[in-house]
Amino acid sequence: MVGRPLTEAELVERAKRGDQDAYGDLVHAYQGIAFRTAYLLTGNAADAEEAAQSAFVKAFYALGRFRPGAELRPWLLRIVANEARNRRRSAGRRANLALRAVAAEPSGGAAPSPETSLLDAERDAALLEAVNGLRDEEREVVACRYFLELSEEETAQALGLRKGTVKSRLSRALARLREQMEDEDV
Amino acid sequence: MSELELRLDRLGRELDWPETPDLRDGVRRRLAAERRPREWRRPLMIALAALVVVVGALLAVPQSRSAILDFFGVGSVTIRSVDEYPELDLERGRQFYGLRLSLAEARRQAAFPIKVPQVDRLGEPQVYYLPDVQQVSLVYGDPEKPRLLISQIIGTGAIEKLVNSDQTDLELVRDGDAHGVWIEGPHVLHIPQLDEELRLVGDTLVMERADNVTVRVEADIPKDEALEIFHSMR
Repeated sequence: MVGRPLTEAELVERAKRGDQDAYGDLVHAYQGIAFRTAYLLTGNAADAEEAAQSAFVKAFYALGRFRPGAELRPWLLRIVANEARNRRRSAGRRANLALRAVAAEPSGGAAPSPETSLLDAERDAALLEAVNGLRDEEREVVACRYFLELSEEETAQALGLRKGTVKSRLSRALARLREQMEDEDV
Repeated sequence: MSELELRLDRLGRELDWPETPDLRDGVRRRLAAERRPREWRRPLMIALAALVVVVGALLAVPQSRSAILDFFGVGSVTIRSVDEYPELDLERGRQFYGLRLSLAEARRQAAFPIKVPQVDRLGEPQVYYLPDVQQVSLVYGDPEKPRLLISQIIGTGAIEKLVNSDQTDLELVRDGDAHGVWIEGPHVLHIPQLDEELRLVGDTLVMERADNVTVRVEADIPKDEALEIFHSMR
């Protein structure tokens, strides 16, 4: 007989009692977003893996302080972000977004012409470059909101900021990006 | 959503992320290799436990002093005057130092220089690291009731001290390039990032070093002795 899958709250409660299998399920559920968060902040996959793994270990020890009913994802991401920033500071480097866009699958109808695809790729590359050129604190907020698809609330929690600060940084960042994209006319 | 936001949104979905590694085995191995640190409770200021529910005394300080208190900050510590202390729950307001590490490992993990007092009579501290807020604690004596606790933290606004000046005095102090405040009397320590970290503490020296690290020295000792300990940190 197969039991029903455990809810996240049940997994957390079990993990708090030291159940490492339950915690393994939580790691599995959140390792994707954790790794990507760390990757955005460290700029390379090896550091991101190490940061995410360390963060999950620290989060396990800190579960006693996790409030029942709170959102687990932003709580975990805050630990991941701290760990990733520490690694970035230790390495003494800035984390550029070592990412590129892949060509999107056409959603239907005729495939775009090679010229259109090339233009889209150039526009994406220019936008990524512009995001990379933002100040660290603005780039992190933009990346969390649009690349990790976190809500403003989650972004605030993950980066340890007030929601108002996220809004203002985002607003400034978008203004800079808009200005830069207009200058480049892309 | 503006056109730029739509483009960012679309770009986010088209990014070529590196493949996510499976972290479960690595996490499991590391958990097996490390012993879970105990979460110590520290019944600080037991005599004041009666204040647990609410201390409702109104602030009665002169205007000038109140203005200083309202905006006073030392490095990572912001000191706020309060009319009344928030509700404290001693069961939840426990002392949590973080991960127990060796000094060498803490120095490797923390993003700032960790200094240790060079005072022989203190003995060797136990070292804890709280990554959430980048805090390293040196605990002397029984962690449940330490005779001396020294915390080092970097950043701004990481810690709040809630002070009702009916019961507590503040005195500005200096030690070379470092400056800070001696807080004499009971007050509430609050780390906003950690909602549970809300506890009543006693006399504390808070100093900001020239390297922007904030040091808290908590012990039942006179101000001069706390300053001597801070001064000896290397």
